[in-house]
Amino acid sequence: MVEVRLEKVTKKFGRVIAVNKVDLVFEDGKFTVLLGPSGSGKSTLLYLVAGIYRPTSGKIFFDDKDVTNLPPRERNVGLVFQNYALYPHMTVYDNIAFPLRLRKEPPEKIDSKVHEVAKLLRIEELLDRFPSQLSGGQQQRVALARALVKEPSVLLLDEPLSNLDALLRLTIRAELKKLQQKLGITAIHVTHDQAEAMSMADKIAVIDQGTLQQVGTPEEVYLKPRNLFVATFIGNPPANTLTGSVQTVDGTVFVEVGSARYQLTEEVSKIVREAGVEKLVVAFRPEHAKIVESPLVDPEGDLVLEGDVYVVEPLGRENIVTLIVAGMPIKVVTPPDVKPHSSSKVYIVVPRNRVMLFDVETGLNIEFLIREIHQKIPD
Amino acid sequence: MRVRLNPAFLFLIPALTLILVFYVVPLILSVYIGFTPLQRWNLNRMGSITAYNFERLFYMMFHDPDFGKVIRTTIVFTAFTLAINVLGGLGLGLALYLMDEVLSLPYRILWLLPRMTPVAVYSLLWYYFFLGGEEGTLNSILLRLGVINEPLSWGTDPRLLPETAWVILILVNGFVGVSFGMIVFYSAFHSIPREQVVAARVDGATTSQIVRHVLIPQVRWHIVYVTVWQLLSLLTTFAHIFLLVEWGAVHRWWGSTWALYVFNVAFKTYEQGLAAAAATVLVIIGAILGLVALRILKFKEMMVEPKGEI
Repeated sequence: MVEVRLEKVTKKFGRVIAVNKVDLVFEDGKFTVLLGPSGSGKSTLLYLVAGIYRPTSGKIFFDDKDVTNLPPRERNVGLVFQNYALYPHMTVYDNIAFPLRLRKEPPEKIDSKVHEVAKLLRIEELLDRFPSQLSGGQQQRVALARALVKEPSVLLLDEPLSNLDALLRLTIRAELKKLQQKLGITAIHVTHDQAEAMSMADKIAVIDQGTLQQVGTPEEVYLKPRNLFVATFIGNPPANTLTGSVQTVDGTVFVEVGSARYQLTEEVSKIVREAGVEKLVVAFRPEHAKIVESPLVDPEGDLVLEGDVYVVEPLGRENIVTLIVAGMPIKVVTPPDVKPHSSSKVYIVVPRNRVMLFDVETGLNIEFLIREIHQKIPD
Repeated sequence: MRVRLNPAFLFLIPALTLILVFYVVPLILSVYIGFTPLQRWNLNRMGSITAYNFERLFYMMFHDPDFGKVIRTTIVFTAFTLAINVLGGLGLGLALYLMDEVLSLPYRILWLLPRMTPVAVYSLLWYYFFLGGEEGTLNSILLRLGVINEPLSWGTDPRLLPETAWVILILVNGFVGVSFGMIVFYSAFHSIPREQVVAARVDGATTSQIVRHVLIPQVRWHIVYVTVWQLLSLLTTFAHIFLLVEWGAVHRWWGSTWALYVFNVAFKTYEQGLAAAAATVLVIIGAILGLVALRILKFKEMMVEPKGEI
C-alpha cells in the first residue's frame, strides 16, 4: 500500500484547464473520495494517478517514488469503471486472469489467485459465464475482482456505482467500504453523488472547475464548508443561502436578511469592518432549522426568519418544507408531524452555532477567512 | 369465406414489385436462357430446352486453354484481392483507430479517393501507370533508376505473364475495395467502449496485446461480414477489369475474370445462352463459397442469444 501525493498538478487539454495546480495527499490505506459535479476534473485527476494522462505540470508520488512519467503498467494500480469495461468476449475467469496473464505469471498461480479473489467477492459460481450473462451488480464485482487480483498499491474507482439501481447501490457501497477496510488498500473513489461520498469516505476532496475546494473528513466538509460551492453542493437538500447587507447600529454589526437582523460576533464584526464588507451570504443546513408558529420572545442571538410556506413534501421519515423568505426559496427538514399549511406565515429559527457566513465576493466561509488571515499574519 | 389480407402487404407492394421486376424475373429468365441455345438475340431459339450450354461450359473448363486462363485468373484475383480487402482493411481500420483524429480524417479521405473517383478516370490512372511505352509511369521510373533497360508491356508481355496481369488486376481492385473494410472496421473499433482499452492499458497491456486480445476478437462479426460481402462482389465485379482489357492494359485472357467472360460472351460473341449458363454457374459457386466462408468463420456461434438478466 502506498500514499499518493500530488504536487501542483495541472492538466490542460488544448486551452482547457481540466485540473488546476492541485496539491493533494491520498493517505495510505484510507478511502478518499473525489467529489465534484460533472466536468469538474475529478475523473481526469483519477486518470492522472493511473498514468493514463501525463500532467502538463506538477509531480505525482507513490510514497517517495516519483511516478509522474511512468506508464500505467509500472504503477501497479487497479482501476474500476462506471461501465465496468469487462471484455465481452472473455469469460469472467479470463477477464479476471487477464492482468496476471499479461504479467506472464505461471498458470497455477493465476488459477489460485483468480479463485481467491473470486471467493473474496463471492462470484466463484460465475467464473464460466460471459459478462453479457451477468447482472449489473455481478459485473461490478467482476470488475472489482479484476482490479484487485493483481494486488494493486492503489485502487482507483471511477464512479463505479453510478450504473447500479438505487437499492443495489446502497448495498454495494457498504460492501465496498467494508472490503477496502479489510484489505487496508489505498482507495480513490470518484463520484458526483454527495451521499455516496459522505457514506464511504475517510476523507473527501471536493473539486470544482479543476480546482480543489476543500479537503476534509465528511463531517468537516458537511458542517464547516470552506466556501459556498461546498455548502451548496453537499447535502440533500443542500444548504440554504440568503444574501444580506451588513448594517451597523450603535456600534453593533448586523446582517439584514429580509425583515430579520442577525447580530455578528465580535471577531466577525472586526473582519467585516476591516475589510469593508457590505454584503454577506447567510447559510444554514435544512435540518438545522426549526419551524415555529410565532416569533420567539427571546431569540438569544439565533437567526430568526419570517417566511411563507410554499409546499410540504412528506417523505415518511421526515418532511421537507419549502418556504419563501425574502423572495428566495428555503428548504427546512422537519419531523413528520410538522405540516404547516401552504401560504401560512411561520418563523424559521436557526441556532447561532449552525449559522454559516460567507463572503459574497470570494464565496469563502468567514470562519476560514479569519483562520487564513491569522495564518498569513501571525500575532 | 373471405381471405383477409394483412394490410402491411399494401405498403410492401411497391418495393416487392421492384424486386420482382428487376431481380426475380431476370434471375429466372437468366437461368432459363442458360438452358436454351439463344444466340444473336434470335428469340425464336428460346423455345427449345437443352443442357448443351452447361455441357459445353464443363468441356471448356478442361479443354479450352483461354477459358482455363479465365478460371485461373478468377481464382487468383478473387483470393488475393479478398485477402487485401479484408486484412488490408483491418490493418488500415486499426491504424486509423490508433491514430490521432487530426491525422485519421485526412487518411480516411485519402483511402476513399479511389472509391469516389469515377471508374473510367481511376482506371485510366492505372492504365497510364502500367503503360507499355517509355511514357508509362512505372517504365519511366524504372528506366530512370536503371532497373530496366527498355520499356516493358507490363500487362501483356508473354515473358511476364500471367503474374504481372494478375498483379495489375489485384492492385486496381484492391485499392478500391480496401476502403470498404477500412470504414467498417474503423467504426467497429470505435464502437468498443474506450474504457476497455484504458483498462487493458492499466493492466499492463502493450498496444499489440490490446489489439490482439481486446480489439480484434470483438470485430469478428465484422470480419465475417466484410469477407463474405467482398467475396461475392469480387466474383461478380468487372467494371475496372473490362476497361483494362478493352484498352489493352492487360492480356485478353490472363486479365479476364469469369464475370467479364460472361459479359463478353453475351455482348461480344452474342452467345447469350452460353453466357446465361456461365452466369448461373458463377452465382451457384458464389453461394457455395459464401456458405463455406460463414461456416469456416463460425457465424452460427456468434448468433447465440445472451442469457443474462439486466
